[in-house]
Amino acid sequence: MRWSAWAFAAGVALAMLAPLSARADESAEARLRARLGPELAPQVIEIVRDAAAQSLPTAPLVARALEGASRQAGADAIVAAVRRQASGLAAARRVLGPAARDAELEAGAGALLAGVPEDSLASLKRARPTGSLVIPLVVLSDFVARGVPAVNASNTVLSATRAGAPDPALLRMRERINERIQRGEKPAGASHAGLRELLATTSPGRDRGATRKGAR
Amino acid sequence: MTSGPDDRWDDRVRDAYRRPLAGEAEARQRVLARLRHEPGAPTRGRGWWLDPDALRAPPLLAAAAVIVALAIGAWSGARWAGARHDRGAAIVAAARPFRATPASTAVAGPTTVTFAFRAPGASRVFLVGDFNGWDPDATPLRRAATGEVWTVDLPLPRGLHAYAFIVDGADWSVDPSAPLAPEATFGRRNALLVVGEGGAL
Repeated sequence: MRWSAWAFAAGVALAMLAPLSARADESAEARLRARLGPELAPQVIEIVRDAAAQSLPTAPLVARALEGASRQAGADAIVAAVRRQASGLAAARRVLGPAARDAELEAGAGALLAGVPEDSLASLKRARPTGSLVIPLVVLSDFVARGVPAVNASNTVLSATRAGAPDPALLRMRERINERIQRGEKPAGASHAGLRELLATTSPGRDRGATRKGAR
Repeated sequence: MTSGPDDRWDDRVRDAYRRPLAGEAEARQRVLARLRHEPGAPTRGRGWWLDPDALRAPPLLAAAAVIVALAIGAWSGARWAGARHDRGAAIVAAARPFRATPASTAVAGPTTVTFAFRAPGASRVFLVGDFNGWDPDATPLRRAATGEVWTVDLPLPRGLHAYAFIVDGADWSVDPSAPLAPEATFGRRNALLVVGEGGAL
């Protein structure tokens, strides 16, 4: 068979497979149309398509719109929330780089939108250049949500990550800090104390020499 | 030995075959050219991988082969991306009484997560999240034997998920022991759940 025939075969194969990749997008758009109605859906779909053109994850945008619909938010609020989410994802991509995973972008967007400085995210990326940043970013966002000032929360997670704390250690630190906050400690002070506890007990890391005094 | 009429006839036929035909040179070239394109013909000066006729297959079979190759590539790429997606995500059960814990884990595919919500006195509890399109009626929880705790098992794909519970159709409640979303986009925060290779946070 000549090359032209192989090219034809490849074309047929691509034509058959292309709809599979597009089906997810069509399904999401159909779901948006069904849930948001004919006036709101096109506005959201336009934002989603724009995000897709930038290679940003679109699932968080669709989910945000559907959440707004389920919470019976107004059309303007839904569009604003989706647009804000898209800008957060774009900013997270800018900071974390093109290789960042979707979950990292989503968590990073949440942190940025909550007021965490971009520099802090970049530092976090440098502190853990190859591993996943999802758990550190989720922990960071949780601190902010519970009232820890964004700068303090960033410093806490960054210091712990630089010390080589693995994800389970970060999660334990989160629980301890939350317990302190629930007992009435000020969030900033609780995060500082939680970090000290973690550094005293964490596995060997870059900063272990500085924290050996407190080790058990 | 004398030659008879038959011998003369043979000589005439032999002479006729020996005479060159008009256009014989062109015909010879055409024949050789076709022979070069016959299967199994030697390819001089290049490898078989450069021979345009080295691979022969019916078009449908070729299309099927290309589809299989592309599908294998897509599957491998998806597995690779999935492995990258949440490498390092940890299994940690959220604190009681509200929790989302992995009921079982699988290396590939969704992870089954058990959601539990303590709601004494509630008549119905639903789970909403990005995994069910925030559909308030999609995922009901079952009341446990104690009557206070409501549970549901749900297979979830890897990634970061936001969720909440709806009690008695109106009260959106957040899991207080789970990590919280940093923003209360529509007035109430959501809880966050990370499903990774090893299970769920």
